[in-house]
Amino acid sequence: MSDITPTAGRGYSPARDAGGGPAPANLADILERVLDKGIIIAGDIQVNLLDIELLTIRIRLLVVSVDKAQEMGIDWWRHDAGLTSSKRELENENEELRARIAELESSSGSQRSRARKRS
Amino acid sequence: MSTKGRYMFAVATGLESSDLEGQDGLDGNPLDVVEHRGLQAVVCDVDLDEFGEEPVRQNLEQLAWVERVARTHDSVVRAVAARATVAPLRLITVCLDDESVVRRLEQWETPLRAALERIEGCREWSVKAYAGALTSDPPDGAEALVTTGTAYLRRKRQQSDRRQQVDREAAETAEALHVALAGRSRASRLLAPQDPQLTGRRDRMILNGAYLVALGDEPTFQAAVDDLAERHPDASLEVAGPWAPYSFAVLEIPDDS
Repeated sequence: MSDITPTAGRGYSPARDAGGGPAPANLADILERVLDKGIIIAGDIQVNLLDIELLTIRIRLLVVSVDKAQEMGIDWWRHDAGLTSSKRELENENEELRARIAELESSSGSQRSRARKRS
Repeated sequence: MSTKGRYMFAVATGLESSDLEGQDGLDGNPLDVVEHRGLQAVVCDVDLDEFGEEPVRQNLEQLAWVERVARTHDSVVRAVAARATVAPLRLITVCLDDESVVRRLEQWETPLRAALERIEGCREWSVKAYAGALTSDPPDGAEALVTTGTAYLRRKRQQSDRRQQVDREAAETAEALHVALAGRSRASRLLAPQDPQLTGRRDRMILNGAYLVALGDEPTFQAAVDDLAERHPDASLEVAGPWAPYSFAVLEIPDDS
């Protein structure tokens, strides 16, 4: 029977630790398959696996908060083109809104001060 | 005595009763095969104190519990895959009794048979690519002391430009790799790239692909991986498997786009 030997070949590295048979697969690799793939048939017990999104699992594996994770550079979701571009749009929009608010505040502020002067 | 349920690991065809000897289910419970017209559900008893709706909701909050169930699930699926054609079920599919399991097999008979047919004689291979040389780390000397605000902003801008360019290059490389590998496999799927802390590598994962490869095509597939590794020395490839065809065991029409 033909077989691919993951440890063979030039230019790419083995996925498994060397020595003594196949090492147990990486937990993240298992979870992304057993939680996210496979045949979905509703059993008698209602289970909502959406409750544990992979991201949450990943973060929990690290036992750190999302903020801490970002600090540590775990920010792959930020590299997602869709997320990033919409984030940029939001940032631009925020900036514009902030500028507009500042403008309105300063003009209403001067109106108020004018009103105070009149009274 | 607490109530028992039946945990379904997978649906298989061509499994012999002796094939599962030496493989336990969850909590050391023996595996059983529940059959309906040649479709074989691989099941074991579970305690509903642990696998009932409310307990499961709580247990899912504990990574150690999730890990234990996930590893056992995968180990049973692997054992079945070594002997027969298998469609793994998603984690934690629990019925109340064997009659209920049979009803599921009846209800989903046609799509289950179609799914098993699609994956028969194939195994799933995972190919990951890492950015390797395609990093956005600043070149040596770029960390010179920044003395002015303008210089600081200029450096930020340069870093951002460089990062964007690197991202573009990485995306192009990932796509080229995926297209080539997809061409050598029966079906392919893209999984979300994993973060560096989990992979234990400093360079970013740019491709996390799953490829369904017929046993007879495995040498050609490996040759394709070798070839790609040579043609893309800037990316670093990692092959893992074989997996049971998790990513391809689906009841709907697969979306390979």
